[in-house]
Amino acid sequence: MEQWMHQIEQWVRQPPVEQLYAALAVLVVTLAFFSILRLLKPSKSATIVLAGLSGSGKTTLFFQLCDDSPHQGTVTSMDPNEGTFVLHSELEKKGKLKPVHLVDVPGHSQLRPKLDEFLPHAAGLIFVVDSLDFLPNCRAAAEYLYDILTKASMVKRKTPILIVCNKTDRMTAHSKEFIKKQLEKEIDELRTSRNAISSADIANEYTLGVPGEAFTFSQCRNKVTIAEASGLTGEISQVKQFIRDHVEP
Amino acid sequence: MLEQLLIFTRGGLILWTYRELGNALKGSPVDALIRSCLLEERSAETSFSYDAPAGGATYTLKWAFHNDLGLVFVAVYQRILHLLYVDELLAAVRREFSHIYDPKRTAYDEFDEIFRQLQKEAEARAEEMRKSKQSNRAPPVAGKKQGPGQRAGSQGNGKKKGVKVGSGKDDGDGESGKGRGLSNGSSNGQENGIEESSRVPSVVVKGNENGTPEVGAFDVNKLQKLRPKGGKKSDAGGGGGKASKAEPKKILKKNRVWDDSPSKSRLDFTDPGDEKGDNIVDVVAADQGESMMDKEEIVSSESESEEDEEVESAKPGTKKKGWFSSMFRSIAGNAVLLRSDLTPALKALKDRLMTKNVAEEIAEKLCESVAASLEGKKLGSFTRVSSTVQTAMEEALLRILTPKRSIDILRDVHAAKEQGKPYVIVFVGVNGVGKSTNLAKVAYWLLQHNVSVMMAACDTFRSGAVEQLRTHARRLQIPIFEKGYEKDPAIVAREAIQEACRNSSDVVLVDTAGRMQDNEPLMRALSKLINLNNPDLVLFVGEALVGNDAVDQLSKFNQKLADLSTVPNARLIDGILLTKFDTIDDKVGAALSMVYISGAPVMFVGCGQSYTDLKKLNVKSIVKTLLK
Repeated sequence: MEQWMHQIEQWVRQPPVEQLYAALAVLVVTLAFFSILRLLKPSKSATIVLAGLSGSGKTTLFFQLCDDSPHQGTVTSMDPNEGTFVLHSELEKKGKLKPVHLVDVPGHSQLRPKLDEFLPHAAGLIFVVDSLDFLPNCRAAAEYLYDILTKASMVKRKTPILIVCNKTDRMTAHSKEFIKKQLEKEIDELRTSRNAISSADIANEYTLGVPGEAFTFSQCRNKVTIAEASGLTGEISQVKQFIRDHVEP
Repeated sequence: MLEQLLIFTRGGLILWTYRELGNALKGSPVDALIRSCLLEERSAETSFSYDAPAGGATYTLKWAFHNDLGLVFVAVYQRILHLLYVDELLAAVRREFSHIYDPKRTAYDEFDEIFRQLQKEAEARAEEMRKSKQSNRAPPVAGKKQGPGQRAGSQGNGKKKGVKVGSGKDDGDGESGKGRGLSNGSSNGQENGIEESSRVPSVVVKGNENGTPEVGAFDVNKLQKLRPKGGKKSDAGGGGGKASKAEPKKILKKNRVWDDSPSKSRLDFTDPGDEKGDNIVDVVAADQGESMMDKEEIVSSESESEEDEEVESAKPGTKKKGWFSSMFRSIAGNAVLLRSDLTPALKALKDRLMTKNVAEEIAEKLCESVAASLEGKKLGSFTRVSSTVQTAMEEALLRILTPKRSIDILRDVHAAKEQGKPYVIVFVGVNGVGKSTNLAKVAYWLLQHNVSVMMAACDTFRSGAVEQLRTHARRLQIPIFEKGYEKDPAIVAREAIQEACRNSSDVVLVDTAGRMQDNEPLMRALSKLINLNNPDLVLFVGEALVGNDAVDQLSKFNQKLADLSTVPNARLIDGILLTKFDTIDDKVGAALSMVYISGAPVMFVGCGQSYTDLKKLNVKSIVKTLLK
């Protein structure tokens, strides 16, 4: 042990001491420089949040994205599902692959507060709508969407939203244009009933749209796009495109 | 036999299923179980009953948790079968599956074999138990055979409520063998629909004779689901027959004579039906500013670190030792939570809840449910048992108190307006809780949102009720529909709604008389009012001062409304209006009791006696106050 120490000492003292100190100083400065850079540059979050009513197909979509198969089926989720996956197209690209962190928040109304935990870090939100059973749930879906669109964390960060009309593999599923129109109409009505007279509207933090005009998604401060998908059969190309666009490596 | 056994994660992914004969289940019982039982913190109950909506089948579900791995095991079987081995089977499945479980795997095909073996073992054990019990009970069984046959015949269409008595509880007695024999015959009937309630009494009687009535498993689902049409028809028919017989014999209410003084004339001081009269009274238009519904609530943020110290200071002596050992284990981590660890923390929590005026039964059930969800979980490092329990309870309370459905009444009013009908709200409750006062507050709030309101004075019993409402209506300058006293409230309500259609009012607020939940004729009258008029919202008005009686009130109200309903989908209580909230300082437990027992959200909170004292329930502050 002592011999070993002696040997190191000798080896260290070999080159002139100043050079050694200079080398150490350069190393330290470089390290400091990089660590400061990493701290200052805000790391772009790679979280995508899946939200929607209970039964719209979020968990199926989640597993389709992560594992490419919906497995044996799903039941109503009680806890959020979190997972990371790498988009297959990125595997072709060279360089650092950034895995996408996907969060599936339960849609049950009593579990809604869990959404507030994940929204502030989201790079994008995917709102899943059941296009098969759309009309009975239209109002509930519109209310949920309205609540999301008026949350402070969404509006301030201008998080992009993709409305996915799920279950399009079935014949009786509605088209995305129909769903878009219905949702806009419902949100318009919600606007009038929520902003009736009170200036202190405690329910929502921001107001949507332009007063006096009918509401359209283009009036939102967040960018809202609409797409079709089918979680069961795996036709989720538009969803993947959205993720690719908004999660930059 | 067992219809299905599911293993799924808490996130919702199904890991493994077993299906008998590949039959798909009718309806979606597992989703219903999750929504109405597990998420509502009723997971400490023994079983859950589910009626498929199309009237196909009725199932009983049992479940088990593996909290550490985050798995749920659910067994589904036909309700008429009394499978004794399900609990054991679930425990065995949980044990075996936790050995082969791997978070990254999603397919577990090899489990089929293991499961088949476990099932055979469990069935064999159950058969043995049954045989041994049957041999013990052979003599009395023969004697009892006559009883059920006769009673089944005479009982006719019994209530379906009794079926739950037999199901779910593993009675494990000799009669179950007979039950299976009978039920095989009735199972064919069961498939045809719920009309076969004639066979149901045989199971009902059996359950009663077992002498172990199933009281523990409270089933909100039962209240909200279809009731057998046969049962209903007989009740309604019986009730109708009785009523028609009673009609010609109706005795007019005699004025009570207190002493020998000559009887006075009628004590009805109602103004002769003219609501425009009384020029003497000043019409003071009530404009007291903004209702508190629309004001932002200032929530004081207090530090939450007080709770842990409180728990420890409760029992200094024994707690010290417990604190040390728990501290040690918490640092070490990897401690699996056992029932014995949870009991002291849960007992302390339960006592704390009860000091906050939560009903004892509710606090008990809640603590049981939280224990069920925590047992077997691994303690994270640097966390104590008490803090884990506290977090779990807080989450559970938040979940229960968050409304299941939208409480945005204005939106519903707009929707009804578009359809051209008035939105009808009926205020029900026991005596003296504040129905009329809060009705006026709701009217004031609606008026502020440019909704035209009409009041209906269907409290035709209490002296001064109609005048009270008339005064409110005058102050708020809204129309009131009244017919004086001693009229049938149901008819008055119907005519009020027709009047509202005519003068196109948006909302009709119906005031009813206060009634005790045990009073059968009054509850029947209320049920008649609700059935006849089919209101959009049945609001139960309960005062925040109520203690354990809240449970009794709400459950009996719901029960009577369900039993005496003439339609299959009975109208139950849709929302709760909590009154006299300003009189309790921090004993806010009544809100929790009421929401837990009925499943209905709290829509309004009355916090004073003037028009503006109406606000929404702030869930986070209530939870914080409850756990302080």
